[in-house]
Amino acid sequence: MSNVIASAPTQPVARPRSYARYVGTKVLGALGSLMFVLVVNFFLFRVLPGDPARTLGRGRLKSAEDIAEFQREYGLNEPLPRQFITYLHNTLTGNLGDSLRYRVPVSELILDRLWPTLLLVGTSTVLAMVIGVWLGVHSAWKRGGKFDKGSTGSTLVLYSMPEWWLGLLLIAVLAVGIGPFRGIFPTGGLHSTGVDPSSVEGVLDTAKHLTLPVLTLTLAYLAEYSLVMRSSLLDELGEDYITTARAKGLRDVVVRRRHAVRNALLPTTTVSAINIGFVVGGAITIETVFSIPGLGLLSQEALSIPDYWVLQGTFLVASAGVIVANLLVNLFYGLLDPRVRT
Amino acid sequence: MTTTAAHTISARTLARRRRTDAFRRNWRIFRTNRAGLLGLGLLVFFILVAVFAGLLVDSDDLSLTSAPGGVLEPPSSEYWLGTDDSGRPILSLLIYGARISLFVGLLATLMAMVIGTSIGLASGFLEGWPAAVLFRLTEWFLVIPFLPLALILATVLGRGLFNIALVIGVTSWPATALLIRSQTLTIKERPYLERARLLGASKWQQVTGHVLPNVTPMIFANTTLTVAVAILTETTLSFLGLGDPTRVSWGTMLEGAFSVGAITTGAWWYIVPPGVCVVLVVLAFTLVGQALEAVFNPRLRSR
Amino acid sequence: MKTVRDVLVRLLGRQRRAGHRRHRTSRLASLAPQPSTRWLVALALLAPAALAGAVVGTPSPAKAADPVIFTVGLTGDVDSFNPFLGFEANSYEMWALTYDYMVGYSMNDMSPKPDLATKWETSDDGKTWTFDIRSGVKWSDGVPLTANDIAYTYNRVITERVAGNNWSSYLSNVDSVTAPDDTHLVLQLSKPNATLPLLPIPIVPEHIWKNVDEKALKTYAAEPTGGQPVVGSGPFRLVEGTAGGSTYKFEANKDYWGGAPHVDQVVYQVYKTTDPMVQALIKGEIDFAEGITPLQVEALQDEPGISAHNGISPLFEEIGFNTGAIDTDTGQPIGDGNPALLDPKFRHALGYAVDTAQIVKTAYQGAAEPATTIVPTAYSKWHYEPTDEEKLTFDLDKAGAELDAAGYKLGSDGKRTMPDGSPIGKLRLFARSEEKPSVDTMDLFKEWLGQLGIDSEVTAMDSSTLGDKILEGTYDAFQWDWYVEPDPDGILADFTCDSRGGLSDSWYCDAGYDAMYAQQKQETDEATRVDTVMKMQQQLYDDSPYIVTAYTGIGEAVRNDRFACFQPQPDPGGVWLIQYGARNYTLLRPAKDAGDCDGVTTALGVAKEPGKSSESSSTLTYVVGGALLAVLLIGGGIVLIRRRSTAADRE
Repeated sequence: MSNVIASAPTQPVARPRSYARYVGTKVLGALGSLMFVLVVNFFLFRVLPGDPARTLGRGRLKSAEDIAEFQREYGLNEPLPRQFITYLHNTLTGNLGDSLRYRVPVSELILDRLWPTLLLVGTSTVLAMVIGVWLGVHSAWKRGGKFDKGSTGSTLVLYSMPEWWLGLLLIAVLAVGIGPFRGIFPTGGLHSTGVDPSSVEGVLDTAKHLTLPVLTLTLAYLAEYSLVMRSSLLDELGEDYITTARAKGLRDVVVRRRHAVRNALLPTTTVSAINIGFVVGGAITIETVFSIPGLGLLSQEALSIPDYWVLQGTFLVASAGVIVANLLVNLFYGLLDPRVRT
Repeated sequence: MTTTAAHTISARTLARRRRTDAFRRNWRIFRTNRAGLLGLGLLVFFILVAVFAGLLVDSDDLSLTSAPGGVLEPPSSEYWLGTDDSGRPILSLLIYGARISLFVGLLATLMAMVIGTSIGLASGFLEGWPAAVLFRLTEWFLVIPFLPLALILATVLGRGLFNIALVIGVTSWPATALLIRSQTLTIKERPYLERARLLGASKWQQVTGHVLPNVTPMIFANTTLTVAVAILTETTLSFLGLGDPTRVSWGTMLEGAFSVGAITTGAWWYIVPPGVCVVLVVLAFTLVGQALEAVFNPRLRSR
Repeated sequence: MKTVRDVLVRLLGRQRRAGHRRHRTSRLASLAPQPSTRWLVALALLAPAALAGAVVGTPSPAKAADPVIFTVGLTGDVDSFNPFLGFEANSYEMWALTYDYMVGYSMNDMSPKPDLATKWETSDDGKTWTFDIRSGVKWSDGVPLTANDIAYTYNRVITERVAGNNWSSYLSNVDSVTAPDDTHLVLQLSKPNATLPLLPIPIVPEHIWKNVDEKALKTYAAEPTGGQPVVGSGPFRLVEGTAGGSTYKFEANKDYWGGAPHVDQVVYQVYKTTDPMVQALIKGEIDFAEGITPLQVEALQDEPGISAHNGISPLFEEIGFNTGAIDTDTGQPIGDGNPALLDPKFRHALGYAVDTAQIVKTAYQGAAEPATTIVPTAYSKWHYEPTDEEKLTFDLDKAGAELDAAGYKLGSDGKRTMPDGSPIGKLRLFARSEEKPSVDTMDLFKEWLGQLGIDSEVTAMDSSTLGDKILEGTYDAFQWDWYVEPDPDGILADFTCDSRGGLSDSWYCDAGYDAMYAQQKQETDEATRVDTVMKMQQQLYDDSPYIVTAYTGIGEAVRNDRFACFQPQPDPGGVWLIQYGARNYTLLRPAKDAGDCDGVTTALGVAKEPGKSSESSSTLTYVVGGALLAVLLIGGGIVLIRRRSTAADRE
């Protein structure tokens, strides 16, 4: 959740460059961010307390030589700069190390857990954007009307809610059931046992399991899109060209469609870029509440050991996801509004 | 017209009068925003509850050895909101929890605002590579997924109220910095600043004398919104098990409810009230913050 | 708040008054809510709900039909299917399903029982053990299982570091393991080892594992590859699953030497938290829920078709003290433990300030037993029950009197002081933050200490950080638990001087205790050994490096309308599922086939009427789901129809 609700950042006016040049700058920026993330990624986890040799050894690695052997295996006792170089080299060649706990390659673990998170987060984000934008536009168009009041009021309440609490309530009402009404949705997990996930029945089964989590995240996120869309559209509607268009006699809808919404859409894309970082976080809490075996749970579990390579891998994937999403949004933004390509 | 002798007013008195006038004006505008008033009312209520928690609640209610009630009792005339899994009245826990949640939220916001404003001002006002570096830093920080970073920091620093506030503060400043930066950039172009520069004001004087006062209203409004986020974050971190388990906050109450199986046992009085409190407080701060933004930015008014 | 339908209707009404026209627009403007986008939005709103309605109408997968699948919900996952690598409790359970042991466990008190070995004998000096291995056992790929496989497994444990990590302590003092023929195994020891024949080492097939050398063993997953299940001799074999995954599927081994299991498959599902898991049990998505909270057990008592209990398990919870942390190389003290805790009399007196009954009630919601010594009552042969005079009851006056007698008197400020008059200072109590009972226990302890005039503060931290702190000696007291194995040697060893810096978290060291330990470890006469072990417990109870607070259990729940014949271990009162050995898995069967459970009268569900089925709830599911779907389709239809008519108006 961000607090950039009502005001979109203003850009100083300058001569716009070509789109190609803009793309180039943005891509370079993204690569720079990626480098930064790689560095932070490495050092961040070395600071974690706890000694994996001891946590995983737990009394079995009794002698000092046993512990030393363990550390040697995983390169834990080499000087930090050397470890860093190894880490850089490995990461750039796709080797994300082995999990200390499960003894399998981290890349395998991540690939296994990636798609539930993507499915959950992707579906929710798309739904939230579509519904949120729609709500925002219709609230702004008849500002002060009953729809506006109702929609703004309820989205504000949703915005103020921890999304996992909403999830708990939905579980209680829709999955467990109240009083005589038994719940109709599963309480968690991704599959029912005995169902082949790749069959048609399995796909429907997965959809059934994902309904409540997706509903929760969608409700939680649409608030921000709706509020930003509303306020930026209201901004646009106050502009001169709208008055001119109205004066020219164009019908409301045309005015709205052609000009205002398109321009007002742009701050929404900015907001969504900032939000993607929070969406990853939202996935963690929802995965916990609904027991979805995704990346969020994986990184949480890895914290307690600490399972360095798993943590580095998941963190890297999440950050890279945010960088890529931001890049795409910026490129899209630049396509829509040449003013931005300064 | 006035005669100069009889009606000379000192510059300071003038400034003060201008400020009181501005305050009264703003308050009048604020008052017309019904949502903002509602938020303010809620805020005052919760702050009073937090401050007077000691008077409202018998301290025995929080103790484990003398916990008065039975385990997970439903609401009754004796315990309006029932009891938790150790027999303590939920209402008392809620009241004390207000203290912790508000305290952590405010402390974290203070840190975030100080860091965010400093960096935002600096990256907006300065020229050349220092500003660019700070801006890049802000952008990069935004790229890092927020909750994983908070989880890691919380694990590193360990549990404890101050640590949690530090974690939230350190992860929340980028949004503020961006906002302050763009405001600073706009103000930088303003004529009175150029005049000040020509008159020989140092950078520091320019910032404190001109930029800061003009940015302050924005900071004020943004602070309120940041508190909302901070409280939500504290609740989330506590729920995920990183709060201070020896203190009662709304987040730790929800964590307790979840881990003890409150949904299965149907103990809705353990799950619903803390969440409702969080929603109300966050909503209150959000409404006040939005109203403040409307006050300071005329274009946002009458929405 | 207005319903979506109201909003849609009002919106449409408004549109009609304004009189729209369909308009060919640019690609970008199509982003704005034109009718086609309203379609999109309507679809976005209705589609998930409709889809959900559709899938809700899909019946939940049938359980009672072929094949018979027993589904278990777990709260912890498996870290490795390789018995030499993993260490999670649930991993041990998976190995028990896949592999056999040479020596098994009695269901009554976990004492040694024949498994692959039919009988055994010891030489008089205790240095030679001879086991008779049963014949006719086959690995799942048809290769016969002989004593050679056992010798192979045990030799790897003795000679290799990685293989020995988990298991070498059970074969201590063993010089050689040989198989003179296919049905005999001989252990040659340098000194007697009283813990034998406790040998929880899974026996792995030599013909498969000989291809995994010592280096490869470190990453050998022992998981199904290329669609081939793992080769084992146990009652089930792993067909699908990987470490770090959340579903593990086992198929029955119909040729199991102990009798074919009565279920075709066992499937484990990992849940992150207990509430969804319990709900899944109630809804019938799983058949067994393992590791639920006491409150959930209580709530399930009223649930038809479900049996729930807190099964006795050999676990104890304790408050441990820093009795003197030292550097194991130099012998010099390290850390900053409170000097008062060096005195056993001080610690013992505090034992009278701990109300174990209250801890059980408040921290564990009644699902535990007040505890005394470090060997739980589940091991009836080894447990020492203190006499009435010895027993630490909750008596603050007595605690105060004992403290006074030991020299820790109340000062003028109401706080107790050291014998020399200096203040005791604040005791630092540490709890494990991931367990609420741990925090509750220490909070209670702090309040009782306060009533004695001793200041303290409670800090909660995660286990690995706490573990580090303990090794550094920068603590005064902590709260933790231990799981005690069938032979008490393991837990007794944690109080020897040699264990300091390793498994000992109390830093306790006493020459007399060490002597008793060494003696019992080689004692060949059981009666003498039991006597020594009792004396050791008595000494520990007196010296109080730990105050043992509770013997906790494990919450379990099962659908008794679907499955029956769960024998508890220990019998009676013990856990139904995660036990020593996998005997219970061959015993359990569908409820309708319960009968007399092969003569086990204490088994759950023996000759019982099957409970009410859960069909009623799935009927309700159908009805509600279908109704929801109908409403949504009708609502969607209305929206579309009205839209179409307004379009006619418009044009």
